Amino acid sequence: MKILVCLKQVPEKDSRYKIDDLATWIREDDLVFETNESDVYALEEALRLKEKLGGEVGVLSLGEERALKTIKSGLAMGADRAFHLSDPAFQGSDAFVVATAIARAISGQNFDIIFTGVQSEDMAFAQTGTILAQLLGWPHATIVMEVNVSEGGKKARVKRELESNLFEVVEISLPAVLTIQSGINQPRYATLKGIMQAKKKEIRRFSAQDLGLESSQLGKTGSMVDHQKMFFPEKKKKTVILEGTPEEAARTLMERLRKEAKVL
Amino acid sequence: MPGKTLVLAEHRAGKIKSISWEAIGFGQKLAERLNQELKVVLIGKAIGDLAEEVSRRCGQEVLTLVNDHCETYTPEAYCHILSQVAQQETPFLFLMGHTYQAIDFAPKLATRLGRGFIPNCVDCQIDADRVVFVRQVFNGKINLQVGLKGEPPYFVSLQQGAFNAYEVQSRQSPRVVNLTIPLPDEVLKRKVLEIFQAAQGKVDLSQAEIIIAGGRGLGSKEKFQLILDLAEALGAAVGASRPVTDGGWLPKEHQIGSSGQTVTPKLYIACGISGAIQHLVGMMNSSCIVAINKDPNAPIFSVADYGIVGDVFKVLPVLIELAKEIRK
Repeated sequence: MKILVCLKQVPEKDSRYKIDDLATWIREDDLVFETNESDVYALEEALRLKEKLGGEVGVLSLGEERALKTIKSGLAMGADRAFHLSDPAFQGSDAFVVATAIARAISGQNFDIIFTGVQSEDMAFAQTGTILAQLLGWPHATIVMEVNVSEGGKKARVKRELESNLFEVVEISLPAVLTIQSGINQPRYATLKGIMQAKKKEIRRFSAQDLGLESSQLGKTGSMVDHQKMFFPEKKKKTVILEGTPEEAARTLMERLRKEAKVL
Repeated sequence: MPGKTLVLAEHRAGKIKSISWEAIGFGQKLAERLNQELKVVLIGKAIGDLAEEVSRRCGQEVLTLVNDHCETYTPEAYCHILSQVAQQETPFLFLMGHTYQAIDFAPKLATRLGRGFIPNCVDCQIDADRVVFVRQVFNGKINLQVGLKGEPPYFVSLQQGAFNAYEVQSRQSPRVVNLTIPLPDEVLKRKVLEIFQAAQGKVDLSQAEIIIAGGRGLGSKEKFQLILDLAEALGAAVGASRPVTDGGWLPKEHQIGSSGQTVTPKLYIACGISGAIQHLVGMMNSSCIVAINKDPNAPIFSVADYGIVGDVFKVLPVLIELAKEIRK
């Protein structure tokens, strides 16, 4: 079983953001980056499948130099080799451009399954994996909570999460793209041995030119939707912020809940 | 802008989802502003009565795609049918609710037609010759304005609750038109083996009057005990956001949000919950919402009546003591 896992590097969850002067992206100077949460679950699921069925796990990340940290942590967790798609021309690309670049990079690699996370915590398109499946002509399943490979690697039986506590079990043929939901497993931590071994593993780099992509197919120009500007949302509801020390704020809160809101 | 707006209405167990009514309501408003015709699209097996009901309620034409193979949703069948609908009807906009189903098929459909899909929009600005949508990025902390690009149709999904201010308006008697689009064998390969409700367990939060909910900010299963202690002191039920149940700090049945339970208590206290939209849709209609979080920009504050910007580990012990005093 040859499995590819797409990993995206995103700002840490508790990040406080500033928007850059052009209002097209955030200011990255003070941010710390980590691997997108559901992508980590996707990698764990891939490693478990490899342990059960044999084969190999590749990881792929599209992003600038800093994305190497995400790639190396994927290799340290147990992936065998990596693809790093890096080019300034990728800046500003939408999910379609990213999926196109991934499809090109893995052409001829004969993967049986591609895993992605359900969605990224930064742009939250929730569509790179699905677009990739369409570009490759493969079936897909989204929001996956369980994966079982059957019929000697020809099919996959997957449990999908639907809304309101409903689940669906579907069988699709392989190769396929599966988008993995967080909570499907408990991801492992990289061991010291894993971190040491990662240093010897292959990382193949691809520029836009290596992938045969021209500037008209990349970034804002190549995107299917027009990302115009970022801004901070206005608060819709008036929130009464209770000031003071934690003790004072807690006391004011209890008082207000009893006498003003009358809910206690 | 002459033309047509299509809204795909999603249904389960013979009922249109509320998020689809929101999309229809917004679609009406938008079509009116742009001087466009609006049609509602329904896919399924026995949907004749449902289509009449939808048409009667919103006064618009309903296009039905009746097909035995569409009793259960599959992305292949939906994409096959809807790409033909898009080609025949040549809409300007193709709207839908941002549901798990839309996530599953809409990117595939748009790509198949060489178009883009703008997901999970929370706002829309309509000028005479320009329509732009707004969606949330960076975990709801930043908004992104997105314009339409290239040729129509433009595929757009709307976030639950964001457009519920648009009432569906009825004007006419029902009009239902059925389109027959046969499905070739190659789109019928997927086997849907089972659809089931996860065991409900003992936790029904829908009737709770007070819910104390904890999130990632609690840090660990051990520290989550503070939430249980406050709940006990107030005689409240315990809820959680997804990271808590993913991490095994609490059983899955305590999860509140789009994939868990929807709750409307008198009082909802969210501790260490940043407020991802998947959580907000499950609790935003609570009567009184309190948010305690160290990040003043956390989206949970956008739905809160009272907020404390601070450390949950310092605030919760005080609340627990005060709650014990009240109960005495």
